Amino acid sequence: MTDLTAPRASRAPRALARLARYGAPLLVAVALLASSEGLRLATVNQLTSLLLLAVLAMSWNLVSGFGGQFSLGHSIFVGVGGYATAVILDLLGLPLVVVLVLSGVIAALIGVVLAYPMLRLRGPYFAIGTLGLALAVQGWMLNWDFTRASQGYSIPLDQSVDLLTVMRIAVVLALVAVIVSQLIVDLPLGLRLLALRDNEDGALALGVRRLRTLLPTWAISAFLVGVMGAVVALQNGQVTPQSAFSIQYTLDAVIICVIGGLGTLYGPLIGAVAVFVLRQFTADFAGWASLIEAIIVILIVRFAPDGAMGVLSGLSRLVRRALVRRRRLEASSSTESTREGVAA
Amino acid sequence: MELVVQGILLGGLYATVALGLSLVFGVIKMVNLAHGEFLVLGGYVTSLLVVSLGGDPLLLAIPAALIVGALAYPLQRYLLTPLMRHSTEAPITATFGVSVVVQTVLLLVFTADPRTLNAPYAASQVEVLGVGMRTTLLIATVIGVALVIVLDLTLRRSRFGRQVRAAAFDPDAAGLVGIDLKHTYAMVLAVAAAVSAIGGALIALSFSVDPVAGTGWLLRAFTVVVIGGLGSARGTLAGGITVGLVETIAAAVFGAQYRDVAVFGALVVVLLLRPQGLFAKVQRA
Repeated sequence: MTDLTAPRASRAPRALARLARYGAPLLVAVALLASSEGLRLATVNQLTSLLLLAVLAMSWNLVSGFGGQFSLGHSIFVGVGGYATAVILDLLGLPLVVVLVLSGVIAALIGVVLAYPMLRLRGPYFAIGTLGLALAVQGWMLNWDFTRASQGYSIPLDQSVDLLTVMRIAVVLALVAVIVSQLIVDLPLGLRLLALRDNEDGALALGVRRLRTLLPTWAISAFLVGVMGAVVALQNGQVTPQSAFSIQYTLDAVIICVIGGLGTLYGPLIGAVAVFVLRQFTADFAGWASLIEAIIVILIVRFAPDGAMGVLSGLSRLVRRALVRRRRLEASSSTESTREGVAA
Repeated sequence: MELVVQGILLGGLYATVALGLSLVFGVIKMVNLAHGEFLVLGGYVTSLLVVSLGGDPLLLAIPAALIVGALAYPLQRYLLTPLMRHSTEAPITATFGVSVVVQTVLLLVFTADPRTLNAPYAASQVEVLGVGMRTTLLIATVIGVALVIVLDLTLRRSRFGRQVRAAAFDPDAAGLVGIDLKHTYAMVLAVAAAVSAIGGALIALSFSVDPVAGTGWLLRAFTVVVIGGLGSARGTLAGGITVGLVETIAAAVFGAQYRDVAVFGALVVVLLLRPQGLFAKVQRA
């Protein structure tokens, strides 16, 4: 969004900026992968959790931030991805990468099947409909023999993955999520999404197709969340319907995106770090973290509706304006001096 | 037959539970994700009053309703109404935040243990049409129907009701003819919260409440509202009875553990079968 309003630079710096935007996350990911060897196991586990939160928030942001469809049903995909991974590893024992991708694909397919009817709902109806769906699915899973409700579905020991590898997978997944988000914003699909969100009638009149825009975005989002759920399952070594289909995942995504900035590229990242740090600090006082988070959410919605990214871009706008003003002052003083020269 | 009576009685309770949501949705055109927390809060406040003052929970539900209503008034006036100018999502997100705050505070103060209200009649049974029924459900139904009638009459006959209907019909014109919209909206949320608090006390009397029960009840209430129609008290009663019947019959056919699945499934199905009509109302708002 900030890209659209920013003053247009000439072509070469723009290409450079784009290179930096795609290159920087890549560098960070490579650095993380390279330095992960010596980390303490607890740190590895924490980093994994942080990265997974960020992936969840970024994926939700695609549909709900950029697309404006307030989904309260994303927990379904976490559960589907987790169960897909556990079951495939247990029954088929395919290579890990294949299993992860397959879990994402299954989540995306289920996502499309669910979204096709759900996307007919608008605004609050979509939110409530997806929430109903999420709770109905969880209620079903809790009572289905297949999910082994009470004891959960364990990942077989000979297939289990050590935490360091899990973290590396999470790093790669987060990188993919960042790149995909940026691609969507840079491609026409992103413009169509924003157009639909900001003025649906106008966008439709200009020829934007609603389902054709929202369905692929939804599928990508479901895919990423499905893989994220798969990694959560690997991290925990097992899946239970209670935790894997918990709507807490959806709530986390909402809280993180609102705090960081709904519908911004880096908002979910900032929000994920903020929420994660808060949770680390309040780990000894159960419940306080969500209280503080919820109060921050209310304050942000009331006083800074664009979240942390909104505050940041507001600050940068102030700085830029100050710079421009100074440059103008300098320019006007220099023209005055030349005028004096001409007069003389 | 037994199922039908049970379903209808459950429906009376559900109507009470959904009445506030329907009112807020119909008048303010706002989805209140904290509706379930009004219910739960009502149950807890009543239970606190019973413990500290002693007495009949049904009588003490009235001061509890006033307390919850008084909490809701400033919420609408100083948080939600100002947000409505910003976008439609902003108030929804804010009520979501409020719901988490209430849930967490209840968890911190009362722990996660479920609470029930006790009364001499809580465990007893009565015969209705030859079917043994729990007395509390019968009471809940009677109160539910009474609340529906009172609210319906208030909306149609009283001065306040006329202001509310004017605000719902055309907020701008209502503002032009001198209706204080901010006050009216806040009063509507307060009334909705108070009615919900009574619903919460009835829930605690018939079943139990726990800090995170609100989400499930929110969706039940939403199912009732979607089926029954917006902002109509009598429609809410019809919707409540429908949901009560669906739930009771589903529980009998598939087993009690599938109650929630049936209700939330019904919500999704109804939403999908009638998207256009419902959607049109939201867009114009």
